[in-house]
Amino acid sequence: MKLVAQLEDLLYKAQRAPKNEELKLSAWRIVVHESEVVALGIKDNSPGSVYTPPSYRQGESGDVFLVWSDGTCSQTMVQLPFSSDPDYWPRALEQWKQASYADPDAVHIPAPESLPLVAVEDRSIKSIITGNDKILFDQADRWLKDIPKNVKMQGSIQAAWGYRHVRTSTGLAVTYQQSQFASGFSFDSLIGAGFAKRRLIRPEEQEKLWLQTVNQYEWMQKEASPVGANTQVILAPGMTEDMVRQFILPNFSGDRVIEGQGAFSKESFQDNKPVFHEQLSLMIDPFRPLELGSYLVTPEGIPASRTVLVQDGQLKTPYLRVKDAVRWGAKPTGLPQGTAGLYIKHKSEAPWLELLQGIEDGVLILSVLGLHTQDSVSGSYSLSAPHSLRILKGRIVGKTDVKLSGNFLADLAAATTKTALSELDNYPYLMIRTGVQNL
Amino acid sequence: MEQLEIKALVQSVLEETKGIAGYFVVRAQSRREWSMRLSNGRFERVSTGEDSGIGVQAFTEKGASGFANSDVLDKETGRKLVEKAIQLALRNEGIGSKANRQIWAAPPVQEEVANTAQKGFEEIPLAELEKMVMTLHSRLSSSFPKGVWQSSYRQVEEVWCIGRSDGTLVSFVIPRAVLMHQGTVRNNGKAQSTLIHRSGMDATLLIDELADSILEKKAIDRAEFALAVCAAPQLPSGHYPLIIDYGLAKGLAHEAFGHAVESDHMNESVLGENGKLRKGLRVARPGVSIIDGPLIGDWANQPFSANGLPRQTVTIVRDGILEAGLGDVFSAEEAGMPVTGAGRAESYGHIPLPRMSNIRLLVERMLPLTPEEHLMDEVKAVRETLLQHGEMLAGEKNLLLLGYRGGQVNPKTGDFVFQCDGIIDVADPDLPIYQPSIFSGKILSALEAIRGGLGEGCYDAIGTCGKGGQSVASSGGSHRFLLMDVDQQVSLGGEQA
Repeated sequence: MKLVAQLEDLLYKAQRAPKNEELKLSAWRIVVHESEVVALGIKDNSPGSVYTPPSYRQGESGDVFLVWSDGTCSQTMVQLPFSSDPDYWPRALEQWKQASYADPDAVHIPAPESLPLVAVEDRSIKSIITGNDKILFDQADRWLKDIPKNVKMQGSIQAAWGYRHVRTSTGLAVTYQQSQFASGFSFDSLIGAGFAKRRLIRPEEQEKLWLQTVNQYEWMQKEASPVGANTQVILAPGMTEDMVRQFILPNFSGDRVIEGQGAFSKESFQDNKPVFHEQLSLMIDPFRPLELGSYLVTPEGIPASRTVLVQDGQLKTPYLRVKDAVRWGAKPTGLPQGTAGLYIKHKSEAPWLELLQGIEDGVLILSVLGLHTQDSVSGSYSLSAPHSLRILKGRIVGKTDVKLSGNFLADLAAATTKTALSELDNYPYLMIRTGVQNL
Repeated sequence: MEQLEIKALVQSVLEETKGIAGYFVVRAQSRREWSMRLSNGRFERVSTGEDSGIGVQAFTEKGASGFANSDVLDKETGRKLVEKAIQLALRNEGIGSKANRQIWAAPPVQEEVANTAQKGFEEIPLAELEKMVMTLHSRLSSSFPKGVWQSSYRQVEEVWCIGRSDGTLVSFVIPRAVLMHQGTVRNNGKAQSTLIHRSGMDATLLIDELADSILEKKAIDRAEFALAVCAAPQLPSGHYPLIIDYGLAKGLAHEAFGHAVESDHMNESVLGENGKLRKGLRVARPGVSIIDGPLIGDWANQPFSANGLPRQTVTIVRDGILEAGLGDVFSAEEAGMPVTGAGRAESYGHIPLPRMSNIRLLVERMLPLTPEEHLMDEVKAVRETLLQHGEMLAGEKNLLLLGYRGGQVNPKTGDFVFQCDGIIDVADPDLPIYQPSIFSGKILSALEAIRGGLGEGCYDAIGTCGKGGQSVASSGGSHRFLLMDVDQQVSLGGEQA
């Protein structure tokens, strides 16, 4: 019997006909993931090394949230029981009750609403899982044939497919299939690229990603002139995404805003305080087909919805889970999945090549060391960026090592900040005026 | 699941491998976790959970490998995983993967290490733990109302069993617990957060904290410091004589040296040459040593590797000379180092990689430092000790870097960065405070710059090692503080000088 069925059976009984009144449930919700994953890696130009062999993973586990008849609640992670002991689940229920706690704002289980249609499954990924995995091996083979001379390459390819079940005591019962494909590679552990969506990478995307990385690697082999006080800093799309993960995501989480643990206060949101430049907006969009951050329904049973967090530079709302929404006095919002599903929009975006041509004196930051150590609440950063690319008179000319110091929240508020669209990424190039020095 | 059940399961899966050509490593793990988080006097979350599973790593006779794992624990799944793993290994052989037969040379081991926790996992009921943590949280919030506090407590018990085709069967239990306080303070229109923790094996740490309030006092001191940091100026960037605390020293030893001597990294390590460890290389001044090894009761303790070999204590640097690396069974020989049982994995579902356990950076030239209860008293004691021993470098700032927020290293180039909570100039009698700024440079230069230690060893700086996308407990430390000379390859970020 599937885990989701076992849990449904247990919780219906505990709600309608409990053996013990103390163990009576008034509401509940379950989310169960059944997944299969196949993966292959490359280490030091060797496919399927002892550290990165072809692998297979099967999983079936879930999260359970319970509201007891006395008003307390419990949360637990579950998986299929090891033994077929008929007392396993009743005993587990008793343990969950012992772990109950009072949280009046969390006990609301919303009534089901109609779900949107969102494309989250690529059938060709299912066929990889069921045995047609040649595509993974072929991809690794192609990479290895094309590696630039004397480069040590690391890489990984992963395909995942499975079911997601969401059930609530208020009547939501949805099961759907979803897929995921991720691949990435790096050269000499200095430079790399990656892809992660709910669909397979297209050959032309793979080709562009590879070519871009090979070009960047070649530029890295030439030393370029040092930066100066007026050098313009440009964050590559992956770098913009990393900065958003470190400085933006935590400060827009509803619970942190409510508890006063974020950069912006609740009042700032209620007053629609301008915090970023008026050209800039920030939104959660879970509807984009086959994007990693797209979904039909949250683990709490809330249908996907598009949510604007910042409109024309002004705070609109943090993202709110059910409990946060109750405390905020609003409806739950759409949720990002990490940085996936979160999008930055600038009113005057230009294509990257166009923007590049206009840069007289710049440095393109591909990665930094130590970003995760920076204080997300203050927004301040002091970072080292060895292996950045120098731009002079509209062209990338070689490698340089720099240090950056500034404040990312201030960067997003500055009138001088611009963005440029990337063909291969959901995040833009971000052109900022910030402290830059030679390393 | 208990240790006996896990062992029986591993043995039954190994039975399934009989008659199949090749070699198998079977890992099973059962993990229990209780955790809770409080914010501003209310429980935000209390959760319980279990995660158990089994992983099978198969090797063909030629040494190609495949891996299969599942969180479904039964004999039938075990059989399926064996089939799948050897099928993937054969497939891997077909694509010309690099063969590795080192596992055949590993000595068989049969041992069982019992749980070393003082309190059983469920000995103190969860409801009672909730009361204890709420008391600690409330006490802190009322002692320092200017801060917004979040407290969390987590206790974990991992039962591991590793079996191999040669009859190896080892099992062990790792108990782990941590209490954390995170504070957010605002001053001068700026916000700053601070995070502080106390770790142990079990709920004894809550009982101890209720009695001695050690963490609470530290949290208040750190919050006061964070308030001052909010209003503090930035330092001009540059090269300074530095005093780093033991958390930062652990970061330096772990990120900069531990990873650079792991046997799977020798092809891209600044401490490797032609794929071999550069043994005999002088990397520090005489008297400096770096040691890695498990400590019973420690956050990162692990008595056996995830490949079923005893974990050894290794002196990586002795008296300034690079002496040894952290070798696992698969890559130690190729890296020119002995197998030290360094393989660790996040879970049954991950391939083990060579990793550290508890890493310590020690210096023979140690100045005594009397422990003080409060942070700024300790900083004053540092200043007095430096003056008393003629160690304050005259005419310039002597900067004490306080708190460790994490770091990152590129082992190939030797570039490192670390971040602290804030900086104090101990050369100035007013002990002015500055904003944190990135501490960066070249790892060999940083080690060469270490000139002495202040105070006895403190090895309880904890963290999580993220190598290979896995999350594995790590720990370590040093003397209470380390003294570092000015070095042109080691700098602090900040404002343009």
